[in-house]
Amino acid sequence: MSDVPVSRITADHPPTPMNWLRDHAQAAPLGHWDELRNRLSGASQQAHPPGLLWTKFIDHLGPDGLSGLNPRMASLRRQVRDNGITYNIYAQADQPQRPWALDLFPLLISAQAWEQVEQGVRQRMQLLEHIMADAYGPQTLVARGLLPAALVQGHPGYLHAMHGAPPVGGHFLSLAAFDLARGPDGLWWLMSQRTQAPSGLGYLLENRLIISRLFPEAFEALPVQRLAATYQALIEGLKARCPVAEGQAPHIALLTPGPYNETYFEHAYLARYLGLTLVQAEDLTVRDEGLFLKTLQGLQRVHGVLKRVDDTWLDPLELRSDSALGVPGLLQAVRRGQVLVANTPGSGFLESNALLGFMPALAQDILGEELVLPAIPSWWCGEAAALPEALQQLARQDHGGVVKPTYPSEGQRQGFEPRPGRQMERPEREEWVTRILRDPDAHTVQSWLPVSHQPVWNDQTGHEKALQNRPVILRVFAVVDAAGQWQVLPGGLARLGTAEGIASMQRGGSSADVWVQAHDRQAVNPLSLLGQVAATPRQRLVTSRSAENLFWMGRYSERTENTLRLAQAVMETVGNEARSPGLLQWLTHCVQSQGMVPAATPAAGQSLRVFERNLVHCLWDTHEATSVGFNLRALLRAASAVRERLSPEHWHMLEQAELEFFHALLASDGLHPSRLPPAATVQRILQGTSERMAALTGAQTDRMSRDDGWRLLSMGRLIERLEFLCSVLSCAIETRLLRDPTGFDAVLSLFDSTISFHAQYQQSRTAEALVELLVLSTDNPRSLGWVAQTLRSRLMRLEHLAGGATRTLAARLPAAPVQVQALWPAHAAQPDALLALLSAYRQAAREISEGLSALFFTHSTPSARSISH
Amino acid sequence: MRLSIEHDTRYDYRPAVEHAQHTAHLQPRVTALQRVLHFNLEVEPRPVQIHQGHDAFGNPQAWWSQDTSHETLRVLARSVVETAVPLNLRSAQTWEEVRESFRYRSGQRGDAQATFLFGSHHAPLDERFARYASACFPRGRPLQEAALALMQQMHRDFRYVSQSTSIHTPALEALSTRQGVCQDFAHILIACLRSLGLAARYVSGYLLTQVPEGQERLIGADASHAWASVYLPELSHSACAGWLDLDPTNDRWGWGGPGPDYVVLAWGRDFSDVSPLRGVLQGGQSHALNVGVSVKPDESDVAGLPA
Repeated sequence: MSDVPVSRITADHPPTPMNWLRDHAQAAPLGHWDELRNRLSGASQQAHPPGLLWTKFIDHLGPDGLSGLNPRMASLRRQVRDNGITYNIYAQADQPQRPWALDLFPLLISAQAWEQVEQGVRQRMQLLEHIMADAYGPQTLVARGLLPAALVQGHPGYLHAMHGAPPVGGHFLSLAAFDLARGPDGLWWLMSQRTQAPSGLGYLLENRLIISRLFPEAFEALPVQRLAATYQALIEGLKARCPVAEGQAPHIALLTPGPYNETYFEHAYLARYLGLTLVQAEDLTVRDEGLFLKTLQGLQRVHGVLKRVDDTWLDPLELRSDSALGVPGLLQAVRRGQVLVANTPGSGFLESNALLGFMPALAQDILGEELVLPAIPSWWCGEAAALPEALQQLARQDHGGVVKPTYPSEGQRQGFEPRPGRQMERPEREEWVTRILRDPDAHTVQSWLPVSHQPVWNDQTGHEKALQNRPVILRVFAVVDAAGQWQVLPGGLARLGTAEGIASMQRGGSSADVWVQAHDRQAVNPLSLLGQVAATPRQRLVTSRSAENLFWMGRYSERTENTLRLAQAVMETVGNEARSPGLLQWLTHCVQSQGMVPAATPAAGQSLRVFERNLVHCLWDTHEATSVGFNLRALLRAASAVRERLSPEHWHMLEQAELEFFHALLASDGLHPSRLPPAATVQRILQGTSERMAALTGAQTDRMSRDDGWRLLSMGRLIERLEFLCSVLSCAIETRLLRDPTGFDAVLSLFDSTISFHAQYQQSRTAEALVELLVLSTDNPRSLGWVAQTLRSRLMRLEHLAGGATRTLAARLPAAPVQVQALWPAHAAQPDALLALLSAYRQAAREISEGLSALFFTHSTPSARSISH
Repeated sequence: MRLSIEHDTRYDYRPAVEHAQHTAHLQPRVTALQRVLHFNLEVEPRPVQIHQGHDAFGNPQAWWSQDTSHETLRVLARSVVETAVPLNLRSAQTWEEVRESFRYRSGQRGDAQATFLFGSHHAPLDERFARYASACFPRGRPLQEAALALMQQMHRDFRYVSQSTSIHTPALEALSTRQGVCQDFAHILIACLRSLGLAARYVSGYLLTQVPEGQERLIGADASHAWASVYLPELSHSACAGWLDLDPTNDRWGWGGPGPDYVVLAWGRDFSDVSPLRGVLQGGQSHALNVGVSVKPDESDVAGLPA
């Protein structure tokens, strides 16, 4: 395998890429199809050249040939990172997301091989639709003995509650995924099928965008079939089947379990690409058997749902009552034909491994045809006639069978991992036989298929060993178009395993783009991926949940900046000899009011050193304090819930800000409490994060469309700023800090107004100048006057919502006097009027925040409970 | 026997419920032994509309939603039914024959009642159930006889302790403590039969509250009642479609129903298919539940009432 003759590389005669590949590319293991060489990997030591497709691919690598691959790999990684493509393995709130694993080389499929796949998938889709229709209708297949009841009514994915309901729009299935593998005969075999909520349509699109740009010449030369038309067919098909009145535009939502789901990235991505509203269950409600979206604009009818939630979680009223991922009443809405759900709930039984064994007879009976696409031989142990053969398969030493669960693990039913018979020692096999005989229905034995191996480029090893190979599984998709016809996506998601035969993203596998060769250039559909295939004319709705998250995104952005500035102020004070007791008192107050140190921390005046170390420690502490780290995480969490509204750059900026901030601590070995980073390092980190935040603010103000959702984000910021600055300024006045030049400068700096001040007033540190710039000015975005005025105008812009209630909220903001004298009369010891104004602003900020929450967010709280007796 | 039933459910919530979705199985179904002469459902606060239909098992089912804030939910179901004595049938089919008849063989007709063979949430398959039943199921015994013996064994072994369990108590736990309420007994009996490879279903309904003088009042009156039913395919063409009803709580049985003093509401795989009232609420963090059921012989003239 790897002991092919060492090539003779000399400076005078560099080998052609083809020869180099022939000699250096690792061969597929014996008995597996070799994708690169397009032949079965045999025992012979002879090195074979790449097959036709691969030859073409390599011929079009460009002038740099193979040496261009490492730079391309680096570019690939950069794009995955920049596009923010992630896959959460065991996603948790505070765990970083894992970048999507993508290999450089696409899986190449010839036009001829694809014909069989396409035809076969279409035929199987037709069969699945028929089986589904029968199971939820006359049930003749079970009655006639073509299917065992144990695989239909006995499967937990079969939803009795849906029996008798006609499919909305005429189709039970709108899309399905098929996992295929290429056997030793070079043919594609069906391994399994997914109908409930198949994933991959988003990831494969990203894969395509990245890989096709890395190999533009080869992409054109092959030529490769385009994908966009199938996505368009999917969305047009859904629209055509939505129950809407003539002339009305259907509103379709993509239902996701939420940001902690492992494939959330693609939910957000697909929603944006297909022009669907991304929703979670709590965004939806059923009213009088119709499905509605809770939005800022009130309840909006939803006509179609592309769901990524598994069936049994869909409706706590009729299915799992403990589900927080479902919409109570949804099943009834579907049964009454009020909403199209794709796929119709209840298709889970079609995913059983056991079903594959019954398909040949079903194809004969239903279509009078042989199956075009063979499936891996399967024996359901619940069938008396199949059981002996199943056990025999398990005992075979050569290829042997793999024992797999018939049913998904659910409730009291314990699932198990598939187990290949050839890896079992005798006692283990006997144990399996006992298990199978005890509950034959729950076990299915499938032949073991040696799957083909795909070349991968590994830029981490030396060049000589860079070309390795991995077992590959191909996921292909079929969708129903507007005419009710099945369309097979000419491409797919290739998943590469790390170990033989296993290709699961959960187990550290990787993925690859899939290039299906077109018969000729004319056959290439020119529809491009770049444009959104379904640009929606509907004004983008802002769900109540998005509104709430945007609002908090605004508040946490501001809070992050405030705490950053405060921390910087403390750090500067430590290094500054000219520090007054008033300054320390003021800093202590500000830091404590933000929760940046534990309550028991001694004041800065007592021990500045202890105070500063506590502050530094808490910067990264997300449990004991609400400092920079906490706020950054909260910001990221709020943003991840509205990720579909953010540009990839915007999201990337956020992720980077959080990542760098926490990495900086690790890099400085600050995990150990006694080894906190030195002050200079902390200052550098704070500076870096401040710069990131400034860029982020730019993205928020400049790169988001200014709809009602954005207004809430902006108001979140303004409310937070108003509260913070008022508190800072009140305290500064009360501690008489402004009389002290260092204190004066510290206040200016916390208002981020140092430069504006000195530009306008040079070195005259008078209270009047300060009040003018920080309280009254309507030009300085850090002035309270500006903040109040802007907040007022934002509130007025929401007048069209909630019966104009925001107008009342706007009226809560006190009007500021225009004269400095009125606020701070000359020679007055305490500016009582100013203090009263600050207090009134703070009060208004709190009231407006509560008011917005009551008006727009309360109905998004997920407090649904189930009762039953 | 003509029976009149009132099933009054009241939930008091704190704080108020803002939005609620409910589904109910409160309308008696038509069976071989039971005609439904009258049914009326009142819900307060009044929903815009109550949708009436049938579930997958043919039981009448209602759905409604309430959008107005409310601290009390009241659901009052009134029915009048005419019941008959059980059918006089007998089956000699052995339990193994019945079990084998369900075994899948390619091309051989499948029985639609196979739906009730499989484990469900409240009545899962488990060897412990099969072991408990095994003494009643010796080789070659007719299923009718064996099932009756099992019901009687349960009646002897189990203690009825009201409020000793909730609907969340697993049947296995009630099996090991040998106590529970009618729901538990029904689930255990069903689980035993299914664990032996037989088809069994859960029946929800009522019992006559007022009994003629001199007769003992049965357990489960004044509330919803539940029992089990086992399927004997040999008699699938009879009026009761081969279903033999077994009430382990009261040691009563009969083809098509345990007796004329029983009212059938609905049947399904277990409680969760037919719970009288199920809802999802927004708000109402705590609640108090009051249920009153009365089943009386009916003397009123119902001829004029819609059936």
